[in-house]
Amino acid sequence: MGHQPNINDMLLEVKNISLSFGGVKVLSDISFDIKRNEIRAIIGPNGAGKSSMLNIINGFYHPQQGEIWFNGHKRVSEKPFKIARQGIARTFQNIALFKGMSTLDNLMTGRITKMNTNIFWQALWKGPAEREEIQHRERVEQIIDFLKIQSIRKTPVGRLPYGMQKRVELGRALAAEAKLLLLDEPMAGMNLEEKQDMCRFILDVNDEFDTTIALIEHDMGVVMDLSDRVVVLDYGRKLADGTPDEVRNNQTVIDAYLGVVHD
Amino acid sequence: MFYRESGDFKATYNKDQQIFTIALDRWFVILFVAFAFLVVPFLINDYWEKSVLVPVLVWSIAALGLNILVGYCGQLSLGTGGFMAVGAYASYKLTTAFPELNMFIVVLLSGGITAFVGILFGLPSLRIKGFYLAVATLASQFFLVWLFNKVPWFYNYSASGMIIAPERFVFGIAITGPNAPPWATYLFCLTIVVVFALIAKNLTRGRIGRSWMAIRDMDIAAEIIGVSPLYAKLSAFAVSSFYIGVAGALFFSVYLGAAEPTEAFGIDKSFLVLFMIIIGGLGTIFGSFIGAAFMTLMPVLFKNIMVGGLGWPTDLVAHLILILIGGLIMFFLIVEPHGLAQLWRIAKEKLRLWPFPH
Repeated sequence: MGHQPNINDMLLEVKNISLSFGGVKVLSDISFDIKRNEIRAIIGPNGAGKSSMLNIINGFYHPQQGEIWFNGHKRVSEKPFKIARQGIARTFQNIALFKGMSTLDNLMTGRITKMNTNIFWQALWKGPAEREEIQHRERVEQIIDFLKIQSIRKTPVGRLPYGMQKRVELGRALAAEAKLLLLDEPMAGMNLEEKQDMCRFILDVNDEFDTTIALIEHDMGVVMDLSDRVVVLDYGRKLADGTPDEVRNNQTVIDAYLGVVHD
Repeated sequence: MFYRESGDFKATYNKDQQIFTIALDRWFVILFVAFAFLVVPFLINDYWEKSVLVPVLVWSIAALGLNILVGYCGQLSLGTGGFMAVGAYASYKLTTAFPELNMFIVVLLSGGITAFVGILFGLPSLRIKGFYLAVATLASQFFLVWLFNKVPWFYNYSASGMIIAPERFVFGIAITGPNAPPWATYLFCLTIVVVFALIAKNLTRGRIGRSWMAIRDMDIAAEIIGVSPLYAKLSAFAVSSFYIGVAGALFFSVYLGAAEPTEAFGIDKSFLVLFMIIIGGLGTIFGSFIGAAFMTLMPVLFKNIMVGGLGWPTDLVAHLILILIGGLIMFFLIVEPHGLAQLWRIAKEKLRLWPFPH
């Protein structure tokens, strides 16, 4: 087993990741780490490779080079659903809820990695399948209470307003009780009030559930307030890495965001 | 005023998760099933058996099966006729090879064999989606029918190439063959339908059903949150083919009695079942029943009105029925694209508030 004793407080480390699609280099030689129980922000201009980075972390893309260490083990290249079972959950930039299902069913689907009665018990329903269902329902109801979405429990998510859908999607990711939660622009397109709610939820998740969070967000105010450390990407390269204050005062970051005259 | 849920409080998750959450619904369904089991067998005659009840029951199972695949898992299939043929030929081979076998077991085994074939033809679904998958399953339709025509072993080398259901029994009562009493075939089919509808409901409301719907609604997100696409898709194909195989076995051995693959299990059957679930409502159990009833009973109803009631010539009526059914399909799809089950759901929502909708 590849234990590395001196960095036990690291939940995730990506080392020298390079990803390209054909001739397009998306990420080149990116390394950073995520400590247990921190909120880690990944920022950068559009097209910087932030979402690709998340896609690599949850196994949807397989990088050409580099390695990923999760929870003290070097990770072999695996299908996304197996990586989800190791304890990585995420939300998506464009809402990726299951539109035909109710809020409750969406959250229950989030717990799918934890359910395992076989198809024959499921067909019978009475017995193990029902017990499992109720046991997980109780957990899901706690999340519903936490996110204050009791009133839309049975509503098909396709009918919900945008802000609510974002909240349900967070709920679905929470339901997985993952070690690492990847949030891809959780506040995109929200109004101020919804953003405040969402910030509160993210902080509470971090506190109450001891979940480590990796966050992509464009709202710099939010990023600087929420996160413990920030990594900045631009055109597939890492520009900076550090606490919000360090990043804020980093000249290359300022240049990348504000633009400079190249000479 | 009468149909409502107020005062009906659910104190446990168990109660909240039951199939019919509204007491009136629950009682109505229980009474309806009790009526079907206890009263109808005493009233049934040959006409009602052959043209109304048994076809509706048999097609309901086929529609349930296809609805699991198309409506719940989102994998479009045009191979229904071929899979029904697998069920039919499996039941034929089993009844002729093991004459003593109980028909229930024959039907279940036929379903099992079809499930296996379904998994095999479901493998392309791991790579292709939507219309392309429909074309791939279409290939299975033609291949299976061709196979049953070409390989004499399947029809026991009979000269005509047809398969004829021998007389077989359940607990000493004939279920197949010309001497089977109407109430027996009806009860046989009804039992299977009720059991399988319950199983379908159980599967679709639990973990497996949610993984199917997750694949249907957004397959990439489903995979990322932990649904195995391989397992979800192939289990949907297996369960769906199992149902369709059971339907095929019943269709051949109980309903038709004799069959020839090109005629009985052609591509038109695939489309018929697909129409049933589209009209009835994709992704609902109730929709499978209502769609099957609609597609099998409407022609009977029109025929009775026009030939029996108005005395029009039979050939004219036959064509008129095609036009009318086509028109009705279009009408219902324009009024409610989500099918008759959705219309019913809306009606129930309205009924809950009636007569004070505000």
